[in-house]
Amino acid sequence: MLSIKNLHVNVDGKEILKGLNLEIGKGEVHAIMGPNGSGKSTLSYVLSGRDGYEVTQGEVIFEGRNLLEMAPEERAWAGIFLAMQYPVELPGINNMSFLRESLNAIRKARGEEELDAVAFMKLIREKAASVKLDDKLLKRSVNAGFSGGEKKRNEILQMALLEPRLAILDETDSGLDIDALRIVSEGVNLLRNPEHAIIMITHYQRLLDYIQPDFVHVLADGRIIRSGGKDLALELEDKGYGWVLEENAA
Amino acid sequence: MSTPTTTNWAQALVQQRSSPAPAAWLDNLRQQAESRLDRLPLPRRKLEAWRYSRIDALFKEKFTPVVQAPDGASLQRPESNSPHVLVFVNGWFSPSLSSLEQLPDGITLKSLAQTLNDEDEQLRQHLGSIADKDENLFTALNTALINDGLFLHIATGIHLDEPIEVFYLNTASEEALLVQPRNLLVLEEQAEATLVEHFLGGKGNDYFHNNITEILLLGKAKLNHYRIQDESSNAWHLSNIFLRQGEQSHYHGITLSFGGKWARTDYRTSFSGAEADCNLRGLYVAGDDQLGDFHLDIHHNWPACNSREQFKGLLYGKGRAVFDGRILVDRIAQLTDAQLTNDNLMLTRNAEVDTKPQLEIYADDVKCSHGTTVGQLDPQHIFYLRSRGIEETMATHMLCQGFAQEIIDHIHLDSLREQTLQRLQHTLKKLQE
Amino acid sequence: MSAKQETVEDLVKAGYEYGFVSEVKSDTLPPGLNEDTIRFISGKKNEPGWMLDYRLKAFEYWKQMKEPDWAHLRYDPIDFQDISYFSAPKKAGEGPQSLDEVDPELLATYEKLGIPLEEQKALAGVAVDAVFDSVSVATTFRKQLADAGVIFCSISEAVHDYPELIQKYLGSVVPHTDNFFAALNAAVFSDGTFVYIPEGVRCPMELSTYFRINEAKTGQFERTLIVAEKDSQVSYLEGCTAPMRDENQLHAAVVELIAMEDAKIKYSTVQNWYPGDENGVGGIYNFVTKRGDCRGDRAHISWTQVETGSAITWKYPSCILQGDDAVGEFYSVAVTRGYQQADTGTKMYHIGKNTRSTIVSKGISAAHGQNAYRGLVRMGTKAENARNHTQCDSLLIGDQCGAHTFPYIEVRNPTAKVEHEATTSKISEDQLFYCRQRGLKEEDAVSMIVNGFCKEVFNELPMEFAVEARKLLNVTLEGAVG
Repeated sequence: MLSIKNLHVNVDGKEILKGLNLEIGKGEVHAIMGPNGSGKSTLSYVLSGRDGYEVTQGEVIFEGRNLLEMAPEERAWAGIFLAMQYPVELPGINNMSFLRESLNAIRKARGEEELDAVAFMKLIREKAASVKLDDKLLKRSVNAGFSGGEKKRNEILQMALLEPRLAILDETDSGLDIDALRIVSEGVNLLRNPEHAIIMITHYQRLLDYIQPDFVHVLADGRIIRSGGKDLALELEDKGYGWVLEENAA
Repeated sequence: MSTPTTTNWAQALVQQRSSPAPAAWLDNLRQQAESRLDRLPLPRRKLEAWRYSRIDALFKEKFTPVVQAPDGASLQRPESNSPHVLVFVNGWFSPSLSSLEQLPDGITLKSLAQTLNDEDEQLRQHLGSIADKDENLFTALNTALINDGLFLHIATGIHLDEPIEVFYLNTASEEALLVQPRNLLVLEEQAEATLVEHFLGGKGNDYFHNNITEILLLGKAKLNHYRIQDESSNAWHLSNIFLRQGEQSHYHGITLSFGGKWARTDYRTSFSGAEADCNLRGLYVAGDDQLGDFHLDIHHNWPACNSREQFKGLLYGKGRAVFDGRILVDRIAQLTDAQLTNDNLMLTRNAEVDTKPQLEIYADDVKCSHGTTVGQLDPQHIFYLRSRGIEETMATHMLCQGFAQEIIDHIHLDSLREQTLQRLQHTLKKLQE
Repeated sequence: MSAKQETVEDLVKAGYEYGFVSEVKSDTLPPGLNEDTIRFISGKKNEPGWMLDYRLKAFEYWKQMKEPDWAHLRYDPIDFQDISYFSAPKKAGEGPQSLDEVDPELLATYEKLGIPLEEQKALAGVAVDAVFDSVSVATTFRKQLADAGVIFCSISEAVHDYPELIQKYLGSVVPHTDNFFAALNAAVFSDGTFVYIPEGVRCPMELSTYFRINEAKTGQFERTLIVAEKDSQVSYLEGCTAPMRDENQLHAAVVELIAMEDAKIKYSTVQNWYPGDENGVGGIYNFVTKRGDCRGDRAHISWTQVETGSAITWKYPSCILQGDDAVGEFYSVAVTRGYQQADTGTKMYHIGKNTRSTIVSKGISAAHGQNAYRGLVRMGTKAENARNHTQCDSLLIGDQCGAHTFPYIEVRNPTAKVEHEATTSKISEDQLFYCRQRGLKEEDAVSMIVNGFCKEVFNELPMEFAVEARKLLNVTLEGAVG
């Protein structure tokens, strides 16, 4: 589904990703872990097409298409979704109209019919209930004045609604209490099926107790230095990143 | 300093005044204003209040005052849901286009010209008395030529639930017209009303709409006041709103400025009692060599009054914006709470913004602040929308609308809010072409 | 060690030979201003013809000008014919003979600031034989500076010794046509400071008028010119933190800064001239034009000012950000109490790409003081991605004072971003009570709160200066509350 080969990325002239390789197949859940500054967020932004990330080498192929040539919205249409670590606030833009605009843009791109207001309302209420997001938040401006947990749940709601082929969760667990973490994880688990793939970027093992990954990768200094099953995460939790880094250096 | 040009320009207009006023007191008011014209300086860049407005070209134009009621027969009646609709054509009341249903006792809602014949005591007492503060050439010019306008008086404790809707239509003419409606609104204690004003002009019509509205709110009176300026693209538009608020009165005003080639709105507020609330909001959308210009002078001269001033501008093409807002807090006005914000979005290369928020504070136990921003859309916001599948042009459109929404949300009339949104979207669509 | 002492002794001797006592008998001009006054000043300084021509041209221009009246200031009109435009240093016999003759209030303030006795004398204008510390320090500095290639001298000396530099730069940032007071200064300037930092040189020490107390007395119409060549750096401290005795009513100084590519100039001022008495009688009128020109890419000019003195302050230290990526900064604390009035702020002209400016203004008004921030931020059509952030905060102490904010923002480039915020507050009863409940005296609580309010600006001052500025602020605000 997604194939990243020898990816080198500069930010402000400084190389952050230094030859990253990653293969993700349908239905798989991958966890990418690593110390601060290792390039985890850079990877998520490069995949979703944000400006300011200069690819100097390598390729990213998503379902046969060159992802790097596509505009952010084209990637969204193709089914890539990024749940941001710090979702932006959009004062004045109603959450509901935003979600409808987004969903219909993606449905249109998929050749599906746009949903009318009634059908949309029904769908959104259902989805909001599934992530236990208060209806009131749907009527407010996008993320404006939301608490940290509310913002993250709003991201998961969008994911549930848009049903992406590949969801990238960038530190979705950060700043969440246990209850919120459980709700968010349930939302993610709902998306799990043989057709969809998920990349979870996280700093801690904690999230992996709720969402069991098929593969775990350690990203350090712009490269994936170690890959394994979910046991790797437990080992990391136990021994810290130090031992992988040392082992890698040795 | 007065130059011959001032005198000539304004005097030439005043000389075209037709008959003497129907009442001696009004004639007196006119004459006094006329005699002051010579002493008032010509508004130019050198005068602080006109620093950025670039009005010089106005004085090169020749205008003809409209001295008698035009025939509005050929015009279409504007659409309205309100039971109380007044239409003014080139500044004169048009009975045939207006429709006024029976009003509750205690409410006078008429044209000024009609009221003059009735010798209304309220009118005589208050007309010109609120606008005497900071008189400038244009307010004096309006007073010197007072003919017609809107007169509203609501007696103590009376609430008018349905909004009053007023249309100022400016028609095509061979000469450039000087149109000068003069309005007076008096709400006695605990009276309440909602007023919606539309300023409209046919495409390409060239005129100068120089209106004055005097508003007197007595204790606990409440007025919702919406103003939608959508003049012709060749028009000069100058609104002067003079507001005096009594104890615990409440004024909620929004001006939406879309039209005109040069459109300026001045609000001057002062108080005659404590604990009053004054909320002023505005949205200006200017492109195509347009100017959107707002001046506020909020004089906190009584203790414990609140004022909120929130103005937002969207500039595109060669659109220009001017914002000049002053909060003045007298020594006596302790416990004042005044917050002013002005935000501007520049969407194109040639847009310009000049903004000047001011605080002048002589009391210590006050909460006063202002904040101003000028910039373009945040690339992060655009990216967020695009990452959710929304195309860039649509994302821009949504963000602009979101920017304006914070003002539009304060319109409490559903139909008007909807109408404003459509008007905004019309402009935003044009922008994307 | 011994070599140094010799130098000091030499200097002391030199002082006896050429010091204040000798030279001219009476060099104070009677009040009045005309072409002859200017010829007299220029003649006294033995100036070359081009300098006199410059002065005369400025004077001709000044005569056509009108005194500005737009500032938020009220004062009696200044009679420019009632001022003496040249006064040589006083003879020992004319000033106070000893500290006993000096205003005890002034001495009490010195005590609080912990100023050594010899310095107190110098500051109060008592004739002293030699100010050992200052002179020795100054001499040591001169040697070190010369070794680095830095020119640091009076502007009068510079006119003679570096005419090509003066002709090139004087008036190039603040032309004589700039404003009424700048024109007057250009015509009659008495003396001032010239600093030149050659390419690639980082000035080895903070330059300060503090060590040139004689220069500080050059009086009413000071002229300062600082040129920092490519890739050089200098930090200049103006004024001194002790209140200066000063009899001149009108001050109209001009300061010009020029920073070339990658150069950095930091200019710090502590102004504490006589503010007038508690009834608003007397005090200095301070009308100053200060402007810095960032001529090269990445040039950086930073103004920091602590203004606690003068009856009237009218000054707007500004930056012209011509070079791409140039940076302008303005950090200001202005205190007005008694009947003091201040109308001060800055102008940031963004011309080059990616230019950045920061404005932090803290106004404190007490008693009958009136304090106004007036600032301009202009984003020119070519100022791609330029940024400005402005923060203006006012603190009111008592209900008879005033705090005002008059920002002007002009934006001609859509990629530029301007943010301006202003707030007004007072020291709340709650804050005071809280501090006092924790055992602080009211006065200490006020000074703590005020210092906290000014922290962002004090942080920009060189360390020693900051400590003194804090002390000065405390002394200034003493008795302001309660």
